[in-house]
Parts: sequence; structure tokens; C-alpha cells
Amino acid sequence: MIVYVARRLALAVPTLFGIAVIVFLLLHLAPGGPGTGGADAARRVSGKAAEEMRRLYGLDRPLPEQFARWMGRVVRLDLGESFVDHRPVSERIREALPHTLALNGLALLFALGLAIPLGVLAGGSPESGFDRASSAALFALYSLPTFWAALLLQTLFAVQLRWLPLYGTASDAAPAGLAGLADRLAHLALPVTCLTYGTLAFVARLVRSGVAEARSSDYVLAARARGASRARAIWGHAFPNALLPVITLAGLLLPALLSGSVIVERIFAWPGLGRLYFDSILARDYPVILALSLLSAVATLAATLVADVALAAADPRVRDGAVG
Amino acid sequence: MRIRLFASRLPLSGRVAAAIVAALWLVALCSPLFAERARTIQLDVRLQAPSVAHPFGTDDLGRDLLARVVAATPISLAIGLVAATVSLGIGFAVGATAGYFGGVVDLVLSRLIEVMLCFPVLFLLLALAAFLPPSPVTVIVAIGLTTWAGDARYARTEILRIRELDYARAARAMGASTPRILVRHLLPNALPPLIVSAAFGVGWAILAEAALSFLGVGLPAPAVSWGGILSSAPNWIEEAWWIALFPGLALFLTVAAYNLLAEGLRAVTTEGRSL
Repeated sequence: MIVYVARRLALAVPTLFGIAVIVFLLLHLAPGGPGTGGADAARRVSGKAAEEMRRLYGLDRPLPEQFARWMGRVVRLDLGESFVDHRPVSERIREALPHTLALNGLALLFALGLAIPLGVLAGGSPESGFDRASSAALFALYSLPTFWAALLLQTLFAVQLRWLPLYGTASDAAPAGLAGLADRLAHLALPVTCLTYGTLAFVARLVRSGVAEARSSDYVLAARARGASRARAIWGHAFPNALLPVITLAGLLLPALLSGSVIVERIFAWPGLGRLYFDSILARDYPVILALSLLSAVATLAATLVADVALAAADPRVRDGAVG
Repeated sequence: MRIRLFASRLPLSGRVAAAIVAALWLVALCSPLFAERARTIQLDVRLQAPSVAHPFGTDDLGRDLLARVVAATPISLAIGLVAATVSLGIGFAVGATAGYFGGVVDLVLSRLIEVMLCFPVLFLLLALAAFLPPSPVTVIVAIGLTTWAGDARYARTEILRIRELDYARAARAMGASTPRILVRHLLPNALPPLIVSAAFGVGWAILAEAALSFLGVGLPAPAVSWGGILSSAPNWIEEAWWIALFPGLALFLTVAAYNLLAEGLRAVTTEGRSL
């Protein structure tokens, strides 16, 4: 087990380096950067910002030196200042982070909370009426564009029925206490729904096919032969095995949620990381763009590492290198 | 002959999906007939609800929404198809190279795949689409460069599996060159799962283009895609629900059809194959 973890950590080092290189390349797509000499005028940053970039990133120096300088600052956790308001990038990220965590945390909670029972029930009796109905519904959700779903939900619940607010995190004159909490929850309802259903469909389909496959395996039949109830055979034997591929992919749910956040936070005027990233793209605020890309990729790498170690702890075949 | 055999084994849902995809391409072919109507601005009929004259209603400039949705069909379909092909091409090249050569090559390329999977796709997509000069080529390149990692991982596993099969060993033993083995022996046998991958990829790429255009960094005007029409919907959400409904419906139908087709193809290609 220790050998496995050490090997996995060693492999993460070049990946980390690769992430830094890709982020660094993003900078070189920038107007004024070496990569885009002739970008059209409308997309060019102002003379002052271009000057600032040259100074900050040393764009007149050779590439390896630029990279080393930038890495030097990043490892000292110096993410620079935003071009837009000249506040530290870390401060802007700290402000936006709780909003995104609330949104994505709730979305993940609902997605897993619904997907697992749904997947197990459907996979436990394949081709049943319930399985067919849930498969069709999940398939539809899987193909449903987030921004369209958001627009439809806004039209129905905010414009037509007037049950929920159109966007924002709280009402202007937000009441205090319990009513204030209700107000915040009402503002969360639609964006959380939009972020939930994609992950829900993805995980439920994964669990369903895992359980359906494990259902006819020897160990489930053996459990039934020993007199275990049907529910016990499915939940106690088929489900844990169906969970393994879910753990493998758990780390990759993070970038998917962040992608979704860009769209959802834009539509619902939610001041989180997705909104910050999009606004920074439009404003060509490179320090923020680089910091967010780097941090999200590193967070994903950390999450995949944790998932891999968890998988190895759960499945001895993985740490012995027999599978995966 | 092989293709006909393929089609005859498709499940009903897959055949329906194939028919919808074919119908969409037919609409795309006929779309120039609607181009004129899609461009005509009539401010006296702006933001009109669906009616007989305008079955999908009109937009904020009085343009007929049905004509605009039809006119956008070829762009959305073509960009999706080309971008998915680019993505699959890169993915297959990287994945097959890693799987075939193994060793250090595999170690390096697998890290590259892992690196790409760590980034939120939309983060990279937005950066590429916003920083490169706006054009259809930019959108295609952006989608192709950011979405290949999944295909690469898939191709790697597939090539790893078949490179040790008898016919690949036999080709090597007879002294066939590496490119020849890859292209003549391994590619055709990795093809069925790749076709499935491609079908899913098209749905994905259409969604990606729509998301970019919706966010305002996709295709430059006057090109019109479904995502582009939808980008004005939030401004009129209180007055005109139809601007959000119909272009999105076309998008959803198309993506669902490609995904359903992909599932049908997967059912055909994995049938009778032991796991």
C-alpha cells in the first residue's frame, strides 16, 4: 500500500509540471505576448496593460527564464495582482470561493444522494419498468444543455409562476434570521438544480451499469444461495463493487462542476469562481486567469490522487497492479 | 456491406436517432432557402409570440425565429462534426502511440492525458476562443485541442488490448513496419469503439460550440448558431420565452439524437464481446 501511494505521488510530480506548462502556454496566447503578434485591434489590451504584462511576466526574456520566474513566484504562493482592480488575486479568489463552494457542494450532495439509490434500484432489476423509465429520463438529462435548462427554469419558476427569484444570491432588502435563510435558499434553488442534474445523470448511469453487471456475478449469486435477501445481495454485495468506477471518476467531477459553474454563475449572476473566471477572460485579466486555471487543475489532481488512494485501499487488486 | 450489416443490428432507438440525424442534415441542406428570411429585420413585428405567420415567434429585431433556427442548423452541425473529428484524430494519435510503444513513451503521453483531464474543459475552451482571432476555425481548433483527452485514454486502452492479439503479433513477426501495423492492422480493429466515441464526440462538440456562442466568444457575427441565438434570450426572458425555447429545443434534439445513435452503435459493437 505504501509502495502504491509513493508510486502514485511520484507520477503526480510530472503531471503537476505539465499543468504549469499548459497554464504558462495560456499566457502566451495573450495579445502582446510572443504568440499573437498580429491579433486584431479590438482584442488588443491597452498599451498600459501590455506594458504591465511585459514587466510582470518578463515577456522580453527567453522562454525558459520566463517560466522559471513565474514558477518561482507561484511556489511562493504569490499569484500577483489583478489588472482590473489591482487587488491581490488571492483576495479576489478568497471572496468568490465560498459562493462556488456553496453552489457546487450542494449540487454534489444532491447529485450523489439521488444518483446512488436511483442507480442501484434501476441496476438491481434491469429492464424493469422502473429501469426503463429512469434510463430514459437520465438519458434526456445527459443531453440537456445547462444554459438551456437554466433559461427554461427561469422562465417557468421566476417569470411565469414567480415562485423563485430570477438571479442573484439574496434579495436587496434581505430580511434577517430565518426569513433571510429562506431567501438565500430560494436564490440557491435554480442554480443548484442546473449544476446537479448533469452529475446526477452521469453517476446514476455509472452505478446502474455497475450494479446490473455485478448482479449476475458469482459472488452475488453465492450471497443469494447463502440465504441473503435480494436487497442485501444488491446493496451489500453488488453495490460496493459498482462503486469502484465511481470512486475512480470522482476526482474528475470537480473540473466538470467548475465548467458548469462558469455557465450557471453567469446566468444567475452568482459571484463565484466561474463568474470571476469568465469576467477575467473578457477583461483580459491574465493574473486571475492563470491563477484560477492553475488552482483548479491542481485541485483536480489532488482529488484524483485521493480517489486513487481510496480505490487502492478499497480494492487490493489495484495496489497490486492487477487492474487499473 | 459492413455498414449495412451494422445498421441492421442497430436497436430501434438507434435507428430512430439515425433518422433524426439524417433529417437534421437534410434541413441543413435546405437551409439556404431560409437565409433571406432569417436576415430580414422587421421592427414592427419584434418580440411576437408564436403564430401562424411566425411559428416560433420573432426575436428582438423582428426576425423570424423559425427561419433563424433553420439557418443556424448547418453551422451547428458542421462545426460539431469537424471539431469532433479533430478531437478524435488528436486523441487517437496520442492514445494509440502511447498504447503501442508503451514504456517511456506511454509514461510521458499518459501524463499529458492526465494533465488535460485536470483542467475544467470550459476554462481552456474560453481562453482559446477568446484569445485567438474569432472565426469558425478558432472554435474548431479550441474544441479539438481541449476535448481529446478522453478519446486518447480510450484509444490507448483499446490499442493495448489488441496489440498483443495474434494477428498483430503475426504482422510484427512478418516484419511489417510500425506505421503499417498501426494503420493497417490496429486501426481497423479499434475502429468500432472509435466510431462510438466519435458519435458521442459530435454531440459533445455541438454543445461546446453552443456554450461558447452563448457566452459570446463563439462564432463572430453574422454567422448564426443555436448558441448564438440563445445568447440574447436572457435579455428578453420576461417578455419572450420563445427566444429561449426553440433554439434550445433544436440543440437538445440534435445532441440527444447523436448520443442515442452513439449508444445504439455501442450496443452493436460490444455485443458478443466478452468483458
